[in-house]
Amino acid sequence: MTRLPITLTVNGEAYDGEVEPRTLLVHFLRDQLGLTGTHVGCVVGECGACSVMVDGALVKSCLMLAVQARDCQVTTIEGLASGGPSHPVQEAFVNGFALQCGFCTPGFVMAAHALLQRNPHPTEEEIRHDLSSNLCMCTGYVQIVEAIKKLATTQVAEGPKASTSVAGGLQASGLKK
Amino acid sequence: MTYIGSSAPSKEAPRYVAGRGRYVDDLVLPRMLHACVLRSPYAHAHIQSVLVAAGLQASGVRGTLTPEDIKALSRPFKPGRYAAGLRVPIPEYATAIDKVRYVGEPVAMVAADTRAAAEDALELIEVEYDPLPAVGSPEAAIADAAPLIYEELGSNIAWQGQVSYGDVDAAFRRADRVVRENLKIHRYSSTPLEPFACLVEHTPERLTIWCNSQSPDVIYDAVSEALGIDTVRVIVPDIGGGFGQKIHLIRKYAVLTALMAVKTGRPVKWVEDRSEHMMAGGHSCEQEFDVEAAVRADGTVLGLKIIDTDDVGGSISTLTIHFTNKLNNLFNTYQVQHLRLEGRSVVTNRCPVVPNRGIGKPGMCFVWERMMDRIGQVLALDPIEVRRRNLIKKDQFPYTTPNGNIYGSGDYEALLDKVLANVGYDDFRRRQAESRVGRALSGSPGEPGRVRPTGEPLLGIGVVIGVEPGGRNAARDMAIFPQSKQMPGAGGVEGATVKLEKNGSVVFRLGSPSCGQSHETTAAQIIADVLGIRPERITMAGTFDSSLSPWGVSSSNSGNNFHLYDVGAVHGAATRLRDKVLTLAAHVLKADIALLRIEDGVVVGRLPHGGAVESVSFAELGKIAYANQALLPPGMEGGLEFTYYHSHPHADPLMLPDMEGRVRAQYTFSSAAHAAIVEVDPGTGRVRVRRYVIVSDNGTLINPSVVDGQIYGSAAHGISVALGEGFVYGDDGQLLTLTLLDYGKSTTLETPAIEIEHYPVPDPFTTLGQKAAGEGAAIPSPAAIASAVEDALAPFGVQVRHLPLSPEHVWRLIRGPDPLTEFETPGGR
Repeated sequence: MTRLPITLTVNGEAYDGEVEPRTLLVHFLRDQLGLTGTHVGCVVGECGACSVMVDGALVKSCLMLAVQARDCQVTTIEGLASGGPSHPVQEAFVNGFALQCGFCTPGFVMAAHALLQRNPHPTEEEIRHDLSSNLCMCTGYVQIVEAIKKLATTQVAEGPKASTSVAGGLQASGLKK
Repeated sequence: MTYIGSSAPSKEAPRYVAGRGRYVDDLVLPRMLHACVLRSPYAHAHIQSVLVAAGLQASGVRGTLTPEDIKALSRPFKPGRYAAGLRVPIPEYATAIDKVRYVGEPVAMVAADTRAAAEDALELIEVEYDPLPAVGSPEAAIADAAPLIYEELGSNIAWQGQVSYGDVDAAFRRADRVVRENLKIHRYSSTPLEPFACLVEHTPERLTIWCNSQSPDVIYDAVSEALGIDTVRVIVPDIGGGFGQKIHLIRKYAVLTALMAVKTGRPVKWVEDRSEHMMAGGHSCEQEFDVEAAVRADGTVLGLKIIDTDDVGGSISTLTIHFTNKLNNLFNTYQVQHLRLEGRSVVTNRCPVVPNRGIGKPGMCFVWERMMDRIGQVLALDPIEVRRRNLIKKDQFPYTTPNGNIYGSGDYEALLDKVLANVGYDDFRRRQAESRVGRALSGSPGEPGRVRPTGEPLLGIGVVIGVEPGGRNAARDMAIFPQSKQMPGAGGVEGATVKLEKNGSVVFRLGSPSCGQSHETTAAQIIADVLGIRPERITMAGTFDSSLSPWGVSSSNSGNNFHLYDVGAVHGAATRLRDKVLTLAAHVLKADIALLRIEDGVVVGRLPHGGAVESVSFAELGKIAYANQALLPPGMEGGLEFTYYHSHPHADPLMLPDMEGRVRAQYTFSSAAHAAIVEVDPGTGRVRVRRYVIVSDNGTLINPSVVDGQIYGSAAHGISVALGEGFVYGDDGQLLTLTLLDYGKSTTLETPAIEIEHYPVPDPFTTLGQKAAGEGAAIPSPAAIASAVEDALAPFGVQVRHLPLSPEHVWRLIRGPDPLTEFETPGGR
């Protein structure tokens, strides 16, 4: 089987290797790099369990070939909290009981992170609109939406400083400058 | 310390949010092969031959399993506990043998070095089918000259039977009116986001299977019986959602993967993909009900007659599961005394049916709640008052239903009152009346099809009530099948182990796996309170492992077992450990045990008349118990570890059915009232849920946030089911909904913000007063939405009988029998 060279940065670490051209990014992350926090729920882009950040954009990694991520900066759930014990979005999900079986959770955390990066103070409507990219079969979404709302409100209450700390987390997660 | 009752922080969540969950697909073994299943493209066909092409090995394929192999290498499944009433023994193997009966039925398996190679190799297996006419619906199944799906049965009606309580015919003779209705619930599923997955390693010593099964006992029995292997070890890592889906059909794949591991001598992993799960992972049953209610003019329901037709799909292995589960909530919240439920299970060329969030219970609740509304309409009474008139009253608890269920506690009228207050019922009715006054309805009254829909949204409200049964008793099935030679496992037994470590921390093991219900969090809270130590110092020692976990017949994440059996087991083990800790501490401190108390992991003694206080920590006691025999009291066994197996101490009377078929189908009964406010767009038929309000009695709450999560999730599923998620088949038995998008799963946009108030009435018969808290809100929610939509459509005089209320269905209801010829479609929306 033909293999193509690939160089990319995942969670801040450089990777230099080869992949089969048909390998999906999600399978590359899981099978070749052992980053199993990115999950496969449908592999056709409907459920969002495989959501990761690629060059600062939220991407369903089952809809992208690994070779398309060549020279990109990829952040998976494992790299979101780079440096710290956990990212504010992760903490908000824990504190808000915003998960049950945990299978969709990495995707939701990434999606919420991408939303707050674009719009640090979303309304409930905006949260619901944005997160409709992801499916959860356990929670009915209530505690997920509430956790994000609460995090966004806390950021308002604590002022721009708290927002900066979120942005800092984002930067560390390998976004394009 | 009281952690019970507090929303103690989740112990599972930190690893899940960090991507540190460990699911089957995350596991890798050396030399592991990847397997794929070849499935039937036909709904109904004879298999003429299955040929494995030569040269398969060259393409990285290491093993194949054909129907011939399966028959030679394995024994068929025992019918199992879901097939009570099967009149002819019909062997069922892990694959189809000579006939396929549904699209997606497994036919063969291939294992290769990579998943991609295995998938590619499927094309090199040649199956010659002789297609047969497909039976695409229950109507087609019972039509004259319908093709037989099981020749052995001589009919597509695979089972027929009934249960009857009280004197139903006499009740109907006394009735002022008989209200009749035809109701239907469609096929759906909870579609766990993680599909089925198995990993098997076979060595001469044992066969180990890692499997995301909710019921490891099913996998244990299936693999050891099918392969004739005595030393089977079932390990259940994290499970990505279950909801019943991962109880039954998953055993086929466990056996297939195990056979492949045995045949190839290498570890084998098989992971189902999404469309495989949609077509063959199992569906909730399509159920049709012909109902008659005998009523008095004042709304009192004297009796109910129901004929329940269940489409059980292309397998007999879950023949009566949707029927027998109706015994669990047969009388819902009502004190009706006379009821006859006739059932027939019809086989079709559709996916087999499986347990799913309530199994037959949402259907049973749908029957009761739709009938309450209909009775109100027929008698010109307020449907809420009709319910109120028939409710079991607060002072009647504990209440025994005519079929033998014992409802320990409850206050159903309070639930109704509170839900009406919380939803603002009276205020809503005022607003609704105002909105209707302004609406110009053309056409002649009494001819619903002639009312021209306008563009303004129509408002409706639905208020329903239901019980959530919990705690298994499989002897229930003997009520329909008393001649069963094998008792299907009466009552329940479940174990837990709690151990105090040498350093004073605590580890525990449960007998049942969790698939998102926070078992570790909840169990740790109970242990914390019993032992007197913070939950932070308590951890669960891994997930389920049949070789290590104490497990009993209830070792199943199903049927709302956790609250009854696991909670009892954890509490019992912790209590025994506490007794020993105190006995040892009394010896060490030379104190009277009655004067000892535990404060955050330290046993503190006080002198009877005041004075110096002495103490000994759990860590010090741990060191003595495990490593210092000289300090143990004479005769005391070393160690600080207890395993306790819990059974419901009040499981009798009626653990086994009596002569009248009365049996305790389940043991605890939570209850809830649901109110839904919907807005229907008459132009498109689209229903939006504006408010969804629940008042719930789950008994003593151990962790309110965890319970909230269960209620939110199950309500959201029931709402989504009612609004249109579901499986659609063509008449040829081809499944048309192979993806989650086609299937219509609700996202954050369609799912409402659900509001919950807890109104707990502790159960007098359980360890902590707890009752079930799992699938409950999936039981009344389809009925609540149906009720609300019917109310919204009242100006058109139409009645909601069938689910789902998809936009198309609602649009057709509004427009009447000839939607396109009589009306222009309103534009602009």
